[in-house]
Amino acid sequence: MTNSPKGFTLNNADSCRVKFARRFLRSLIEIKTRQTNYNNNLSSSPSSSSEIRRRSERIKLKAYSSMAHAVGPRKAWTRALLLKLHNRAKRHRFRTRKRSSLAMVLKKKRVFRVKNHANFYKPAAERGNYSVLNSDEKTEKLRELVPGGKAMDICSLLEETAHFIKCLAMQVQVMHEIADQLSN
Amino acid sequence: MNRTLPEMLHCLNSVGNLLAGNCTDMTVLDRQRARLKWQQEQLQQEEQQQQQDGYFNGSDQLNGIFFNPAQAGQFPGFQGLVGGVSVIGDTTANRPVKPDPSLENGWSELDRFEMSGIGFGSSATGLANGPGFQMTGAISRTSSSPPTVAPLTPEVKSRESFSPEKTSSAAGRESFKKRKADKVNNTKEDDSREKRAKGSAEEGDSKITEQNSPKNNNTNANNRESSADTSKENSKASEVQKPDYIHVRARRGQATDSHSLAERVRREKISERMKYLQDLVPGCNKITGKAGMLDEIINYVQSLQRQVEFLSMKLAAVNPRLDFNIDDLFAKEMFPACAGAGGFQTLGMSAEMSNSPYLQFNPAQQVVSCGGLEMGMNSHDMGLRRTISAPVSIPETFLDTSCYTQIQPPTTWDSELQNLYSTEFNQGRSSIPFSSQPFTGSIEASNLKMEM
Repeated sequence: MTNSPKGFTLNNADSCRVKFARRFLRSLIEIKTRQTNYNNNLSSSPSSSSEIRRRSERIKLKAYSSMAHAVGPRKAWTRALLLKLHNRAKRHRFRTRKRSSLAMVLKKKRVFRVKNHANFYKPAAERGNYSVLNSDEKTEKLRELVPGGKAMDICSLLEETAHFIKCLAMQVQVMHEIADQLSN
Repeated sequence: MNRTLPEMLHCLNSVGNLLAGNCTDMTVLDRQRARLKWQQEQLQQEEQQQQQDGYFNGSDQLNGIFFNPAQAGQFPGFQGLVGGVSVIGDTTANRPVKPDPSLENGWSELDRFEMSGIGFGSSATGLANGPGFQMTGAISRTSSSPPTVAPLTPEVKSRESFSPEKTSSAAGRESFKKRKADKVNNTKEDDSREKRAKGSAEEGDSKITEQNSPKNNNTNANNRESSADTSKENSKASEVQKPDYIHVRARRGQATDSHSLAERVRREKISERMKYLQDLVPGCNKITGKAGMLDEIINYVQSLQRQVEFLSMKLAAVNPRLDFNIDDLFAKEMFPACAGAGGFQTLGMSAEMSNSPYLQFNPAQQVVSCGGLEMGMNSHDMGLRRTISAPVSIPETFLDTSCYTQIQPPTTWDSELQNLYSTEFNQGRSSIPFSSQPFTGSIEASNLKMEM
């Protein structure tokens, strides 16, 4: 057993890990308190499956967002992920608000904008983007998996994938440990 | 000084005989031999010349002698050699370099030194032709930007230090390998050389000092492209990183135009990234080939995302406890603390302070559930002492998937966790999180039984 000094130096991975753990825990606490409040107010059955599913979806999103925040915007995939989450939150906010005429107009505008981006959702080969090297199905699938992968060339896609895998593995590990602790 | 003149004459004559008339007739081998001879002679002379003060005047005379033929006949060989002479003049400026590299140095040195009265600039630009042609190829390769020649010269020196030692033609060929292209394709050589002869003639008119630098870059670029176009290279692949250019060697028997070179660079980058990914994804050592690797990567990413989803489901299902935040945050603080007994004890204390019914933590247990970061854990101790306080109400469907997915990952997680952990952690500890997996599976199964 080696005695490491108290004044340790955090390397990059560790600080990332700690940051993620903190953020995630905070958001988890928030969700849980919301759950308890909800349960106390409504005094319904503590957890139906649909509720659990919704909550798990929220937790998952929170996990990804805290991961992206912990890593920081210096990686392309984190930026893409943060953008996606931000847009999703905005859309969600719109949906939950009262349907005013303004909201309808904005919704129409959104649809229009989506139509313009229809080209973006095609696979790269169809798009006519011939600069994409060996754009077969596998790279397409990889692009779908990695956030922000559609707009990258294969070289940076592989790089981003490597970093993404590292961060995912770390995320899974931390979440697993948290889950273990909570379920003990 | 007096000795050098006849020697130079002899040398020049010999080379001149070879070069006279059609330079194209001279084979590569002959050129190499001549060069080697000349190099050796220059080496001998250089050592003596460094000590002589009046050398510069001697070279002046030399230049006076040879300048006319150089101008009149436009013999590239002469020009190259005169350029060599001019460069030797540089050696008095306390630059102990060997002749061949000194050519290259002189080429760049001309940017700084004013060789006005001698017209060395013109003769040195003649380096673009003839046997010096290969040298400018080398120059273009090695001196990427004139102001930064100084750091390059030691590298050049080290590379060229081989050349004077080897005397065989094969060795000479090897020294040529270190230069840029060997001109095997003679016809194309002719054209390009003629072009450059005209260009250098134009350049030769002006007494150039610093104006050489932009032209340097131009000729460098031209040389690089044309030599890439026209030459077949026998050298091994090597990629030399320079400040401005990334110099890539073409491999033997491969195309050498700039497009394929760039593509090769790109392919190498991609393969490098794939190798890195191979290290990252567990169980990819046997798989070769991009397609299989991509498959593995995709599967791995998908499995990780599935795990995240499953864990979030699990976390959603766990009943909220009031004071779990404190303990958890404490535990998280201890995460990077690869501490020994210190962290151990604080954890034990925090567990005692919590007083919650479900958190019946052994210090050992807590540490284990923290991912076994603490040192010196007894693995057989912890598993048995898991206390499950409250039954967790988990829906049945959720449990089915949970049992399955939990049993699968342990094999991959072992290596994963070893990768993720820093080197300061013990080896024994890495087995601990691994062993924690089947327990949770069995625990939840037992929960289900209890609920039923």
